[in-house]
Amino acid sequence: MSKRYDFSQALAEADRCLLCHDAPCSKGCPANTDPGKFIKKFKMQNIKGAIRTIKENNILGGACGILCPTSRLCEKECASALLDRPIQIGKIQEFLVRHGNDIGFKVFEKPEPVFEQVAIIGSGPAGLSCAAELARKGYKPTIFEKMDEPGGVLRYGVPSYRFSKEYLKTEMEDIIDLGVEFKCSHPIKEEGEAEELLNKGFAAVFIATGLWDAASILKEKPEGVYNSVEFLSSPHTGGLDKIKNQVKDKRVAVIGGGSVAMDCAGYAASLGASDVYLVYRRSFGQMPAELDERMESLENNIHFLILNQPKAYLTDDREKVSGIQLVRTELSPAQGSRRRSPMEVKDSEWVLDINLAVEAIGNKAFKDSNQLYPNVDIDTKKQIKASLDNCQTSKPGIFAGGDIVRGPSLVVNAVQDGKTAAMAINRYLQLGRGKNE
Amino acid sequence: MNKRDIDLSIDFCGVTFKNPFLLSSSPVSNSAEMVARSFEAGWSGVVFKTLNSDTTPIIHPSPRMNGYGYGNKRLVGLQNVEMISDRPLKDNLMDFLYLKKKYPDHVLISSIMGFSNDEWAYLAKVSEDNGADMLELNFSCPHMSVEGAGHHVGKAFDLIEKFTATVKNCVSIPVIAKMTPNITDMNEPALYAKQGGADAISAINTVSGISQIDLDVMTPKPNIFGLSSVSGTSGPSIKPIGLRFISDMAKCEELSLPLSGIGGIETWVDALEYILLGASTIQVTTGIIHYGYGIVEDMIEGLTDFMVEKDVAKVQDLVGKALVNLKTTDKFDLKRQGRAQYDLEKCVGCGQCYTVCRDAGGFALDWDQEKRRPVLIEDKCLSCMICSFVCPVSDLISFTEMPGTWKRQDACVMDKELESRIKYQPFTTKTLL
Repeated sequence: MSKRYDFSQALAEADRCLLCHDAPCSKGCPANTDPGKFIKKFKMQNIKGAIRTIKENNILGGACGILCPTSRLCEKECASALLDRPIQIGKIQEFLVRHGNDIGFKVFEKPEPVFEQVAIIGSGPAGLSCAAELARKGYKPTIFEKMDEPGGVLRYGVPSYRFSKEYLKTEMEDIIDLGVEFKCSHPIKEEGEAEELLNKGFAAVFIATGLWDAASILKEKPEGVYNSVEFLSSPHTGGLDKIKNQVKDKRVAVIGGGSVAMDCAGYAASLGASDVYLVYRRSFGQMPAELDERMESLENNIHFLILNQPKAYLTDDREKVSGIQLVRTELSPAQGSRRRSPMEVKDSEWVLDINLAVEAIGNKAFKDSNQLYPNVDIDTKKQIKASLDNCQTSKPGIFAGGDIVRGPSLVVNAVQDGKTAAMAINRYLQLGRGKNE
Repeated sequence: MNKRDIDLSIDFCGVTFKNPFLLSSSPVSNSAEMVARSFEAGWSGVVFKTLNSDTTPIIHPSPRMNGYGYGNKRLVGLQNVEMISDRPLKDNLMDFLYLKKKYPDHVLISSIMGFSNDEWAYLAKVSEDNGADMLELNFSCPHMSVEGAGHHVGKAFDLIEKFTATVKNCVSIPVIAKMTPNITDMNEPALYAKQGGADAISAINTVSGISQIDLDVMTPKPNIFGLSSVSGTSGPSIKPIGLRFISDMAKCEELSLPLSGIGGIETWVDALEYILLGASTIQVTTGIIHYGYGIVEDMIEGLTDFMVEKDVAKVQDLVGKALVNLKTTDKFDLKRQGRAQYDLEKCVGCGQCYTVCRDAGGFALDWDQEKRRPVLIEDKCLSCMICSFVCPVSDLISFTEMPGTWKRQDACVMDKELESRIKYQPFTTKTLL
């Protein structure tokens, strides 16, 4: 992965910025980050002001600086691209947040809670962002997290080499300092429990549970086949040693072509796999992962097995996975703008010998997830129906955002949902107190 | 003209330099070990670091410099509290002998600074006796706190004349007097030096300044264990001051001495600018502190190619070439006017031109939000050209002259109805009587 900036490098990059009059970068962020503003502040030696600009808008500004696919967001419309290449906005943002931590700069003064308690279910980016925003408005947010530690996808879904847990910890400190209460190892799991919180002292509830049920491609899952959630969370769930032993000097197949698949492949390589194969049934150009993620995988010596469709797992005499049967595909003929789909090539089956497989083809909602909120409308995928404008669900007082509403999406979108929900909750509760907005 | 026809050599006070590029008296010319490498790199001569006679112990403050950056650009200026040479005189003189033995074709200029009339005479004599081709009298070091030394002399004009005369009386080699820029008019001290017999003038030494303060301890830099001082600023940021003083002296007919230009020179363009304004040699320190001796290769190559392009065979023919076009502002032809013109094909849409034109120019740009491009209102353009200074694209904005019939709009008055309430009478010489 590309090296992080130090002060001089960040300033050199900021120096290239044209300080556009109507900064197009500032219109490209789903969470309304304003790079035009924070880069100008940085250039004007107003460094704390630059950090404040980032963090006041996005409590997870550091995480987003690292994880955002900036090339298709803020950097996409960068005018410098017309000269040579876009400003590396994400890297400048990451530097500024890290620099703030290094110099001990606290953006936020601890607010005095004056309003109601609000319950937040899930401590991923949506939950954290909502909690921070509510705390700043004077509410008392409590986050319920079923895992042992907070962070959601930032902790359990992104490999450490991409986003370190130390970084997460420093970024979480701001949220803790705002007075957000964390109840970890505290799953909300009983029937109707999410809605019941409204009767237990919480004035509103924000559901941000994310999507954690890994989709599966083949029905049979012999030993040695993991899904991306199990695989990527293994360092934090005690499964690391077991997986490490199965990966070191072994052959690993990762099935999928998205960002998570790239993460799984990179993680397998970092654990010392002798060969890592990315198995994808469409073409390289159709892979949903960002181009730079794909390039990074190539540089990481990951073997791309494109146009190959998995058919079945083969097992050894101890019922452990030993191979994966693949069939070559070719793309259907081009038809207008329709996405070309893979078609199996007759008699082209072959077997890739492997010792471990990871299925990384996307996550979905748990089948019974809506039991926690039986009065909240959901769609056929068990995702919650809520407007992206206000995160309001069909049940008053219950709000929802992040992947459980959007489906698989970006961290930065979840951050924005958290902010939107906080605003909507505030409006809802202020109205309840008879105040006009 | 071909490259082989170009002659970069130049005569300065009767001494031939194989090119106009010299090291100035500073840390870059501290020892023969260093100077030898500079000669190998292509420098034609050296003004060796100012000698002292061992009577005044020289101890350098620590640290002694501070690099002054702008944005991400390093060393736009350099701040230093450097003293004269802290080496024993004998060591320096042995180095003189070595350099003259090993590099007889290179010019060795001994920079000296005395604290008394006798010491000036002594240092001049030992320099000549040990092979110096020329002397440079340091009337300008800004860091000597002793009265009668360094820039204190440079500001006491009678001392300049006196010490110059003293030196001239005891040596036969040419003598350059080095001027401080920390005065308003350099021609006056230069004329005093001429009166004392100086054969040439070099300028400028560092500009007295303070470039940065360490905000945490509220001490300017360099911070010498809690204290700092007004000290010498050098580097690209002071080039305009150096060029101005060189041109002043070059235009002074009464002076008519060869000039050695110093101040912010890094490239052949900088050097040529000094030459075009009247310098026949140029001297460099901060450029070397930034990039090393190797920059001379680019000076030589760059100047040569320029001369080929302009069909000029000898550097001498470039000396002072720009002076004829340098006049006082009352000589300008104000009837001729122009404006900025935009080649929007090249525009990347940053809008910096729009911002600065509104906030600092003539309000002559609109902004097409949809296309993200500036729209020029031609008859409002003041031709200040600041838009072109901030534009990131080469040659997008240029100046164009307009026909004599062209009229510029007056700046807008916000509320003409206020005219009835103005308390005012047009000014005449009698208005106040």
